[in-house]
Amino acid sequence: MVLEHQPIPFLTWLLGLPWSENSAFLESALFRFILTGFAVSVLALVVGYLIALVRNGPLKAGDITYRVIVNGIAELFRTSARRVWAIARLSIKETLRRRVLVALAIYIIILLFAGWFLQTGYREPGKLFFSFVLTATTYLVLMIALLVSAFSLPNDFKSKTIYTVVTKPVRASDIVLGRILGFTIVGTVLLAIMAVCGAAFVWRMLDHTHAIQLDSLENVVDASGKVVGKKGRTTTNMQHFHEVEIYPDGTGKAASTNEHEHQITSETRGGDTVYTLSGPEGLLRARVPYYGSLHFLDRKGVDVAKGVSVGSEWTYRSFIEGGTPAAAIWTFSNINEQTLGTDEKGAQILPLELVVRVFRTFKGNIEKGIQGVAQLRNPDNKTIKSEPWTFTAKDASINQFPWSRKLNDADNKPIDLLKDLVTEDGRVEVVVQCLDHAQYYGFAQPDCYIRLPDGSPLWNFVKAQVSIWIQMVLVISIGVTCSTLVNAPVAMMFTIAFITLGFFRQFFVDVAIGKQVGGGPLESLYRIVTQMNQTSPLPEGFGTQLISSIDIVLKMMMQSVTYILPDFRSFSTVDYVAYGYNIPMNQLAQDLIVCGTYVLGLFIIGYFLLRTREVAK
Amino acid sequence: MAGETVIETRALSKTYRDFWGRPKVRALKALDLEIKQGEIFGLLGPNGSGKTTTIKLLLGLLFPTEGQALVFGKDATDVSKNQRIGYLPEESYLYRFLNAEETLDFYGRLFDIPHDVLKERIDSLIKTVGLERARKRQLKEYSKGMTRRIGLAQALINEPELILLDEPTSGLDPIGTREMKDMIIRLREQGKTVVMCSHLLADVQDVCDRIAILHQGELKELGRVDSLLTLADVTQIRAKRLPQPCIDEIQQVIARHQGELLTVEHPTTTLEELFLSIVRDSEARPGRRVVQEASSNS
Ligand SMILES: Nc1ncnc2c1ncn2[C@@H]1O[C@H](COP(=O)(O)OP(=O)(O)OP(=O)(O)O)[C@@H](O)[C@H]1O
Ligand SMILES: [Mg+2]
Repeated sequence: MVLEHQPIPFLTWLLGLPWSENSAFLESALFRFILTGFAVSVLALVVGYLIALVRNGPLKAGDITYRVIVNGIAELFRTSARRVWAIARLSIKETLRRRVLVALAIYIIILLFAGWFLQTGYREPGKLFFSFVLTATTYLVLMIALLVSAFSLPNDFKSKTIYTVVTKPVRASDIVLGRILGFTIVGTVLLAIMAVCGAAFVWRMLDHTHAIQLDSLENVVDASGKVVGKKGRTTTNMQHFHEVEIYPDGTGKAASTNEHEHQITSETRGGDTVYTLSGPEGLLRARVPYYGSLHFLDRKGVDVAKGVSVGSEWTYRSFIEGGTPAAAIWTFSNINEQTLGTDEKGAQILPLELVVRVFRTFKGNIEKGIQGVAQLRNPDNKTIKSEPWTFTAKDASINQFPWSRKLNDADNKPIDLLKDLVTEDGRVEVVVQCLDHAQYYGFAQPDCYIRLPDGSPLWNFVKAQVSIWIQMVLVISIGVTCSTLVNAPVAMMFTIAFITLGFFRQFFVDVAIGKQVGGGPLESLYRIVTQMNQTSPLPEGFGTQLISSIDIVLKMMMQSVTYILPDFRSFSTVDYVAYGYNIPMNQLAQDLIVCGTYVLGLFIIGYFLLRTREVAK
Repeated sequence: MAGETVIETRALSKTYRDFWGRPKVRALKALDLEIKQGEIFGLLGPNGSGKTTTIKLLLGLLFPTEGQALVFGKDATDVSKNQRIGYLPEESYLYRFLNAEETLDFYGRLFDIPHDVLKERIDSLIKTVGLERARKRQLKEYSKGMTRRIGLAQALINEPELILLDEPTSGLDPIGTREMKDMIIRLREQGKTVVMCSHLLADVQDVCDRIAILHQGELKELGRVDSLLTLADVTQIRAKRLPQPCIDEIQQVIARHQGELLTVEHPTTTLEELFLSIVRDSEARPGRRVVQEASSNS
């Protein structure tokens, strides 16, 4: 999988630990939460005062604002669990009687159809089925969350049932929280059922076996004419077959095709040998990467922090030029006996994997990969290196380097990986270079990792559901908060806009800070209407000047919006599961905290909006 | 019994505004009221005179444009007063996907009522409003009168001290109307305060102690019902089996005292009384075909 951002350790993210640098805390999430909360409160205060001002004049407006805040905060603590639960129960009944369960039926029908039409694409089955199921679940759950949350409170206002509710000792906070809670419970149950069905579907679709095609079996003989096994192929099942190898002891292996293999056992029954193939192995994975830190050598062999940039959409990765001393060097720490894994034969190995992005300056043979070389090196004594390991890599491929513990150095003398290449404090370097002239390899820090023992694929699937759940809770909270103020269609539009902007947050930020060509929103509109090139300068004149000045204000407003916009894309963990990577608990914890913060903020906003609303208007 | 002041309004005014904040309707103009504990207070007035507006202001559903409404000495927008209030809205604004029991259970849970007490209260309220047979049916299947009844039960779930009823008898059959009136009188006996609004004079006359008459948002009349409805200079004579000579004689007596005879007639019962007596009859002796007998008599 190609990670597009750098994972940050949890405490660094939350608190900016370690506080060795002065600005560390200022960049932490906690500080940003506090800052944003403060800014939003001040803004709300100002807007509230202005509205009151227009309606009631300056003196009374001050009085009203003061009372709203003081009473509002006091009343916030009168929120009662009993009433919240009563409203939540009502919301659950409402959604169930509105037949949200139909969504489940839709989901199951989708799965049934998918089982039928996805069969043709069995090339990367794990990726295909996991991303299909998880994406379908995400969209369906988010859609239900959106509909249910944006319509309920406006319905209460429309049918005036809210009159009978707010004339009971119910606080606005009870209503907002109860709604969020109730819909979350319904959504959770729905998601859980979908998860069980989805898991059953994927595991069933992936599980298959083959038989040996007996007439394809031939003996394999060695130089002396002795039979050392058999070779042949399996029958075709699920649109593929495997080459098989059977060893003299009767066991064997169906070679890796479509990302998996099968084990073969045999027994003799009435004179005939009967072969049995196991289920697929390697389709369900949850790789656990262990990351190092990365620096580069430029084309003259000088140490640099970043490599070459090859264009704006690749800014995250740095590139090294082929056929020069340019290199990407990862330093791993805390390498010891425990870090090592074992291979099939039980020998100790350092299981290294490398994701390579390839940038070609000329096309060459596109089917063939670009050649490169990897070496292990002792960071303290850089003359001690392992034998170079050459490989060819295609773009976005994962290359495996199971370095065995007993290996040769660059001069072909045997060395021990732990004793000679790893320093006393457990550091080792991985040096990667590109060999083909004028072609480039692109790397970022998480592209090279040591593969720790795999996690459980089922648990990984569950974690993916948790991240869908996080997105669902966010949508529900946004929907409920919007619907305290406006009617259902507007609340829905607003929620959708919020999510969409969240998805394209990066683009939005780029427009706001002027990184995007074509200018601000008005200027872009002008260019679209006049069919003008994105990069040609605007004609001089009063009109265009006005456009530019308005754009400056708009961009400033957009910049402030980016502070409260959730980065929706980063909540999705579908790719982790699809590509067989373990979802880091760290990321899940960060997302949960971000989600909780949003819910809290939205709850408070929704509370004040509903509280100050004249119900019977 | 009249003790502490339950409701007090001071120059209470409401102007409905449009989206841009421009005044649209002046629905209530400087209303001053004081309602004491234990009273049954009637708000009277033609359609659109501001009765419902007044009630909504008292509940905090609307914010006053000017003036102030105090309920139990607190501002009407204060939520905590709702603990002691019951409200029956003009139409039944209830969740149509709930059944009678669930409705009362939901509203009951919004108060601090112990679970077993609530269960008992739900049972007795359903019996009181006569919905035993429909208690498991969703409200969307209810007739208008049935919805009114469950609305009333909902208003009484917390045994409120102050009950605000917006047109309590609308949609009810004559029996329901009578039961509603009896219920209101029972509530007064329990020392509760009732504020009801209606344009049905008969209803108001039967139960209210004091009334206020609103017209176009202005208070036109305020006082005790008995003193308002007594016409001190009119005497009505009703008698049974009076022969014609006797009637002539009475006429002469009135003339001698400079009085003016308005009418002397055989009074009829009201339609309501007739309807009630028929229904009572049929309940006492089920199976009798009251309707046919009544028509053959006439
Ligand atoms: N939400 C509203 N927006 C604008 N005007 C309103 C609104 N509600 C009521 N009004 C107006 O306020 C006035 C008083 O209405 P209100 O509902 O208080 O009358 P009412 O005495 O209860 O009448 P009814 O006997 O028909 O129930 C009417 O002129 C009405 O049109
Ligand atoms: Mg009314």
